[in-house]
Amino acid sequence: MHETRPAKITSPIVDLGGAHVKLMPLALIVGAVGVGLAYALSQFQLQRFSYIYLVNFAFVLTMCIGSLFFVTISHLTRAGWNVTLRRIAELYAQCLPVLFILFLPILIPLLLSSDGLYVWNQGGWSMTHATNDLKDTVANLPLADRPPLEQMKAAYLNKGFFAIRWVIYFCIWGGMATFFLRTSLKQDTTGDKKLTSWMQAFSAPAMILFAASIVFSSMDLLMSLEPLWFSTMFPVYFFAGSVLSSLALITLTSLNLQRSGRITDEVTTEHYHDMGKLMFGFVVFWGYIAFSQFMLIWYANIPEETFWYEYRMDLENGWGILSIILLVGHLFVPFLFMMGRTMRRNKNLMFIATIYLLVMHWIDLYWLVMPQYARAGGEIGFGFMSVLADLACTVGIIGLFMGIFFLVTRDKPLVTLQDPRLGEALNHEVH
Amino acid sequence: MANETDNSNDKELVGLLAQFDDPTSLLAACNNAREAGYKKMDAFTPFPVHGIDPALGIKRSFLPFIVLAVALGAVCVGLGMQFYTNGGEIGGVSTDQSPIFPGYQFLISGKPHFSLPANIPVTFEVIVLSSAFATFFGMWIINKLPRLSNPLHRVSRFKRVTNDKFFLMLEAKDEKFDKSDSEAELNQWGAVAIEEVNQDLTDTKLPAWMAPMALIGALLLLIPPVAIFSAYGATNTKPRLHVVPDMDWQHKFKTQVLSPNVSDPDTPEYLFANRRAMRQPVEGSVRFGSLETDSEMFRGIKKDFANASMTVGMKKSMLASTGPQDEEENLDQWITGFPEGFEVNETTLARGKERFNIYCSVCHGYAGNGDGLVNQRAVALAANGQATWTAAKSLHDAVVKDASKNPTGRIYDTITNGRNNMGPYKDQIPVADRWAIVAYVKALQETGITPVGADAAAEAEAATEAEAPELEAAEEEKEE
Amino acid sequence: MATTVDPKQLDNTLDDPADRSPLVLGGLNYEGVTDTACGVWDAERPPMIWWVLLLIALSLLGLLGACVNHLLMSGTGVWGNNNPVYWGWPIVNFVFWVGIGHAGTLISAILFLFRQNWRTSINRAAEAMTIFAVVCAGLFPGVHIGRVWVFYWLFPIPTEHLAMWPNFRSPLLWDVFAVSTYATVSLLFWYMGMVPDIATFRDRTRSKIGKFIYGILSLGWTGSSRAWHHYEIAYTILAALATPLVLSVHTIVSFDFAVSQLPGWHTTIFPPYFVAGAIFSGFAMVVTLLVPARKLCGLENLITIRHLENMNKIIMATGLMVGMAYGIEFFMAWYSGVEFEQFALSNRAFGNYWWAYWIMVSCNVLAPQVFWIKWCRTTPWFMVIVCIFVNIGMWFERFVITITSLSRDFVPSSWAYFHPTWVDISMLVGSFGLFFTLFLMFCRFLPVIAMAEVKSIMPMEDGH
Repeated sequence: MHETRPAKITSPIVDLGGAHVKLMPLALIVGAVGVGLAYALSQFQLQRFSYIYLVNFAFVLTMCIGSLFFVTISHLTRAGWNVTLRRIAELYAQCLPVLFILFLPILIPLLLSSDGLYVWNQGGWSMTHATNDLKDTVANLPLADRPPLEQMKAAYLNKGFFAIRWVIYFCIWGGMATFFLRTSLKQDTTGDKKLTSWMQAFSAPAMILFAASIVFSSMDLLMSLEPLWFSTMFPVYFFAGSVLSSLALITLTSLNLQRSGRITDEVTTEHYHDMGKLMFGFVVFWGYIAFSQFMLIWYANIPEETFWYEYRMDLENGWGILSIILLVGHLFVPFLFMMGRTMRRNKNLMFIATIYLLVMHWIDLYWLVMPQYARAGGEIGFGFMSVLADLACTVGIIGLFMGIFFLVTRDKPLVTLQDPRLGEALNHEVH
Repeated sequence: MANETDNSNDKELVGLLAQFDDPTSLLAACNNAREAGYKKMDAFTPFPVHGIDPALGIKRSFLPFIVLAVALGAVCVGLGMQFYTNGGEIGGVSTDQSPIFPGYQFLISGKPHFSLPANIPVTFEVIVLSSAFATFFGMWIINKLPRLSNPLHRVSRFKRVTNDKFFLMLEAKDEKFDKSDSEAELNQWGAVAIEEVNQDLTDTKLPAWMAPMALIGALLLLIPPVAIFSAYGATNTKPRLHVVPDMDWQHKFKTQVLSPNVSDPDTPEYLFANRRAMRQPVEGSVRFGSLETDSEMFRGIKKDFANASMTVGMKKSMLASTGPQDEEENLDQWITGFPEGFEVNETTLARGKERFNIYCSVCHGYAGNGDGLVNQRAVALAANGQATWTAAKSLHDAVVKDASKNPTGRIYDTITNGRNNMGPYKDQIPVADRWAIVAYVKALQETGITPVGADAAAEAEAATEAEAPELEAAEEEKEE
Repeated sequence: MATTVDPKQLDNTLDDPADRSPLVLGGLNYEGVTDTACGVWDAERPPMIWWVLLLIALSLLGLLGACVNHLLMSGTGVWGNNNPVYWGWPIVNFVFWVGIGHAGTLISAILFLFRQNWRTSINRAAEAMTIFAVVCAGLFPGVHIGRVWVFYWLFPIPTEHLAMWPNFRSPLLWDVFAVSTYATVSLLFWYMGMVPDIATFRDRTRSKIGKFIYGILSLGWTGSSRAWHHYEIAYTILAALATPLVLSVHTIVSFDFAVSQLPGWHTTIFPPYFVAGAIFSGFAMVVTLLVPARKLCGLENLITIRHLENMNKIIMATGLMVGMAYGIEFFMAWYSGVEFEQFALSNRAFGNYWWAYWIMVSCNVLAPQVFWIKWCRTTPWFMVIVCIFVNIGMWFERFVITITSLSRDFVPSSWAYFHPTWVDISMLVGSFGLFFTLFLMFCRFLPVIAMAEVKSIMPMEDGH
């Protein structure tokens, strides 16, 4: 038999060890410069910039939401094996309240009645085949004179209610994240077992709120970009991508921390093996949800829904190629790559796999968002400048996100110190 | 080693079986045995004991790779099966060519015959099923099971292996094995009890009855496949078995028959007032896509004459046997060419030929000489006075051929509504096909071939052309 | 003997984060587990109650047989299916039973992959239940095809008489493949898991027939470590195959409805929503069966209150998922702005079949909420009542989806109200007879508890 390790943290460094003091300003500066540059490279067109900004905002938001899910489900299922990875997820979840600041560039133009991003913010959006003149006329009409569909949907899709909903979502997420992180940090010092029971009790009702927030936030953030389209499956699709990306992010973070000599003893090959299994599972789950959603709409082929996919499947406008890339790259490649046990137990390969999955998740969001810009009449252009603008924005937001992460983390321990199930996690072994 | 000729000793030592009472001591013994240099040994436990694999030097199973290979094969099989059975049109189909793949071409909800998304579910199930079989059978084969006889089962102590005891067997085949030394070692490692495991060599042969029984069994098993194979494709002259008679002979009225009163057949009341078994569309209703406004296309009448009431043929078919049938008709109203929207080309001519051969040739003959089989028979019967019949026209008849007397619009109208003895075909032949037939008829007339023996038919036709009572007036009644 | 008894031995629903609660109670050692698990099988003759239950089950089975015979002799007209409700109770019963048939494989496969140790005591019975439920499920579409003697036309078998192939673009054919694959794989999985335990029977039985039958069924299993090694890997692979398979089966069942254009059927949430519903109803059925079975077979120390509590928590969670799907459907029907969708959903809740809808909601969404209270989810008789409600609710869910949508299609002149016939009702009741007959046989003749697996999760005994 293998010997049992005592439930004690043995790594020499378990926090950032002051690294954040240098890294945080650096990341924030890179972020600010990147986002500014992206805006400049988009030739100061707010609409073009908003769309790519939304892609990247959704990218970091989904990773944080997924991390929050990871924490909540761990408590809900009384998981023991992942106790040593849970703190990283808790810290990422704690970024959520700060992300509200990054949401403001989307929210403020909306409140100023811009329909640059969300076309439902002004009248005439349902008249897809109307001339621009007609649309402009309708845009200025009072609500009661607009097409009936717009009147109906305006009860939900209006800027005031949208803003209120987002405040509620962030309250739910922020509240949950703060609760879990604070309680967990408290346990680091006191080692009180009751705190674990308390978090578990909290996780059940919190999960319900979380699920409700996911349903509506996914519809608000991404589905309502095309207000004519609807799919009851969409929140699940959003959720699958979120969890997958967060699993990749947590693994990547842990790998990076270990490379820099932190938490070296606490996260073992066994944990990576299991994270690899989970990622594999969610790759399949994502594929399942994506396929089911596509299948049902493709098969029934009713115009109210099909147009959304028809536009994205069109090989001539280029989105069809992206769809194929997504299908192959987000499903088949990781499916085959992550199937083997050898791969999951190899840290270098896992490093590549997590980065790859994050890139694919980004492309998934790009595929959800950017065709709407093209449909709204925008010219995406895959020229040098616009690709550069997209890249700058991506680097910028990731920079800002890392800055936020360092800000949240500071000198907090990167692993739970006195969790009652620590022993179980340290002795975790994949059979 | 056992001496096989010695009857008192016809046993072969397989190994030494040591019993342990808990997994921990078994594990320790396994580790000791490996360190002592034993290679051929096995542990037997009521449940999988973790950590024992390295102790016994068991290599990781290669089963996953077998399953992966089978799964990849199943992708091809699953997709290939659906492609073969449903993807019929792929590979090119024309009227003369049979498809490369014998698919059954039916259109379902507008999807292509081979449509990948719709084929994913079945492919997935085929993959899972094959992989599961590969896993299940692969595992038993790797483990060399089922094994019906095992000397271990002769050790009565060994019955506890499926309950609560743990065993380690050092095999006699191992190089290091020595009965007394090994026994001492096992004792030293904490064995609770040690037993010899012997292969009884006297009963290694099968019982004598087994081989013939197996042969007979195998032969019996062959009967069903042979029976099925011999029945495959065979014809059977016996009437088929009617398992559910009232499904095979249903109580129902066909669409256009007179319908008696179902509840009381004796009263002359009908299901519906108009005596039909089926309702008709509400008056003035137009079937979707059937608003036939283009008079040239649908009636063969020039646009200027579009308001002219009815063609003679239409009146005839409506009024059937009662009304006047020889009303003057305005020959100017017919179009002389083909309507817009119908193109005369090779494809439509080929189509026209095909349709002509199906619908028209039975009376008019394949070459249009009016020598179709039905016509020949009817003329023969009419000659004996057994039937009345107006002989079918030869399309090469001068009057018929004359474009001023029979413009294309009129030929179209003839096909559509019938003329004289000929019945209307508008319900059988779609509009485009009718024009295709017209085009083919014109082509036939252009070539003007009159084969041998056509004269007789032409004479007979001339004799009876004027007017003759209808052969089956009732048949015409159905058209309104 | 001044030993202090671990309070968790008395009540293993107590939670201590630092220490997992025992899953085997009564201080049982390995032998004790074997003896307890084999209790009913060891007995000379089964308890009286077993005979009584079997008699009831057999008479219901007889009713089913009579109905199927009547159906085959007379045709499907003996059912209430008629224009516009062409899919009546048969499909409702089919989906109901297939749904129940999901819990077993889910417990065996998904909980296995997630290393939920508590599954070991209940997985065998749940898998058996899965297979019996799939048998019941397969019955309904099987007899629904009318001419059952040509059922093989469903499969791509080259026949010269037919000269055609099945249509692989039809969801109904996907169903044929999905359900038959599922039945086969579940059977393999169940049997493979059972082999070591059948070997236990082989080594325990004293009767000659028993030795012969169990000897053949156990395939010569010796518990060799090499065999265990390959066996465990094969078990993991089968679990990994069964997991997406479980999802796919109910997904494909949901496709039957959702690929159509009928309002109330065509909605993209159907696949995960059906799967959640299947888990929900399956777990409820497992609880309904296991509470009396553990009493009958004396398995209280193996199937403990904690097992049941965990099951009830999953029932509550999936109940909430199903409830959330109901909500999303309503919201999305409104949000879509499609008047047909809006009508279909409001018709569901407030139309002719309002009673069915509200039975469904109260049984599926409201009833399991009592499991928030610990007493409710740890009291056997009470949880059985709740679970029976859940099963009723899940039957009504399928009823609501199938019947209400069909009875109000696009053409108001063909709207009608569905009336089941006595054959419909008798066949539903009779299918329970089939199910319980098989289950009672299983309890008596096959290992109800996966003994080998239970032993493998027990803490090591001290070697004294």
